[in-house]
Amino acid sequence: MESAAGNIADVLKCSHISKEFDSFDGTGKNLVLEDIDFSVKDNEFLVLFGPGQCGKTTLLNILAGLESPTKGEVVDHGKKVTAPAPERGVVYQKTALFPWLTVMGNVEFGPKVRGFKKEERKKIADHYIDLVGLKGFEKSYPSQLSGGMRQRVGIARAYSNNPSLMLMDEPFGHLDAQTRYMMEEELQRIWQKEKRAVVFVTNNIEEALFLADRIILMTNCPSKIKKEYIIDLPHPRSYVDPEFLRLRREITENMDKSM
Amino acid sequence: MESKTSRFMRKNMAAFMTIVAFMSLLLVWELVARFTNAGMFLPPASEIISKFVESFTVPIGKHRMLVHIGVSLYRVGVAFIFATIAGIFLGVSMGYSKTVEAIIKPIFEFIRPIPPLAWIPMSILWFGLGDQSKFFIIFLGCFCFITVNTYDGTKNVDHVLLGAARMLGASERQVFFRVVLPSSIPYIFAGLQIAITAGWSAVVGAEMVRSDEGVGWLIVMGMTNGNTVQIMVGMLAIGIVGYILATAMAKLEGRLCIWNQQQGI
Repeated sequence: MESAAGNIADVLKCSHISKEFDSFDGTGKNLVLEDIDFSVKDNEFLVLFGPGQCGKTTLLNILAGLESPTKGEVVDHGKKVTAPAPERGVVYQKTALFPWLTVMGNVEFGPKVRGFKKEERKKIADHYIDLVGLKGFEKSYPSQLSGGMRQRVGIARAYSNNPSLMLMDEPFGHLDAQTRYMMEEELQRIWQKEKRAVVFVTNNIEEALFLADRIILMTNCPSKIKKEYIIDLPHPRSYVDPEFLRLRREITENMDKSM
Repeated sequence: MESKTSRFMRKNMAAFMTIVAFMSLLLVWELVARFTNAGMFLPPASEIISKFVESFTVPIGKHRMLVHIGVSLYRVGVAFIFATIAGIFLGVSMGYSKTVEAIIKPIFEFIRPIPPLAWIPMSILWFGLGDQSKFFIIFLGCFCFITVNTYDGTKNVDHVLLGAARMLGASERQVFFRVVLPSSIPYIFAGLQIAITAGWSAVVGAEMVRSDEGVGWLIVMGMTNGNTVQIMVGMLAIGIVGYILATAMAKLEGRLCIWNQQQGI
């Protein structure tokens, strides 16, 4: 399947986004994001990388249309983002699968609510369940699956709406190290097959370098864009490749210390 | 590898303990009732059990035991169905709409602590002495539990799931029916389980309002006649049926919410 984006180079434009929340004591404002400005190109794997609690999830929610920015705007294919839409698929930190639905039920949820006929949505769901390697688990409930398998379902569910942009919020952050490496490879394999523009949030430098075409380094709170790195190492990448290690050192040295 | 016998023992240990505890209780009861002065106020267990067994063939009052149980079950059943519909509807409305919550919740919280028995006089005045006032009292006994639990369920829906459904293209209506409602089901069932037991307990009070049959009537009539055996036969019937109802409800929940049962594996 090909991306719905056609030949528009920029899938998503994020112009001068700032976001502030009321502070906890209610007396002032907390600035979380400050003047975030970047765009995502078609089929690009973009990683937002930065220290711990620096508003990356908030930024992703704004890109998704789940939250609105205090200043600036997000434009998706020339249209201003104001609400959630199936053109943007989200893979969540804690999977966010519907526990009362089976793997099949979760993956076909998108096509179902969008009015696809039964055979059509089953075909779509079968395709993506197979792609993420969960054939045979269609009838399992999320509670019966391991963390890695749940994240596979999450990826298949996001893909099932055929979105032109994927937003991934530290999807492997809760997995153990071994499963995490495996899932990074799996995601790379899936993305090579079904290319989309991806915005992937992480605070793990290895993960960022393993997956990214481009890394945007964010500062600590309030988050600003500190620097951009184009990563043009060939895939599959090795964690011990000298260039990989050099970039790793360089980016880590430039990164703010997390609190 | 454990042997077959030891596995059987381990699996049935709890059941075995229950039976032993129960038997001991009955034995102590029997001895106390037969050989001490307490026997004046407490009929022996054996007498109650044999009277209970007998009541299935020999009528107490106008009816046999199964009719008494059946009539009470019918009253609880009707009231429970109405309470379920009303409770889920009200609970969901309060949980979903801030306006409904603001209007109804204070009134509801005010009515909630009033026990069903306190409604008996007013209920006779409004609904007369027939089944309707009994429905009303039992209804009040279960309604609140269902409402409160449903309300909690709809309030506790995971916001990330709501966001996920919207991102996948669900309309507000679909979000409600496909996310809010199903994620409340375990809460609703917990409410139904408490409610069926509470409704069944309210049956005695409801049948204090003039009646000729029902397990509650057995107790009320026994009280009027000073018949302690009949009172305790009524209590026994209520206990047994109540236990069966609660167990059946839990089984039903297990079947309908498989996904919830297996959480944590």
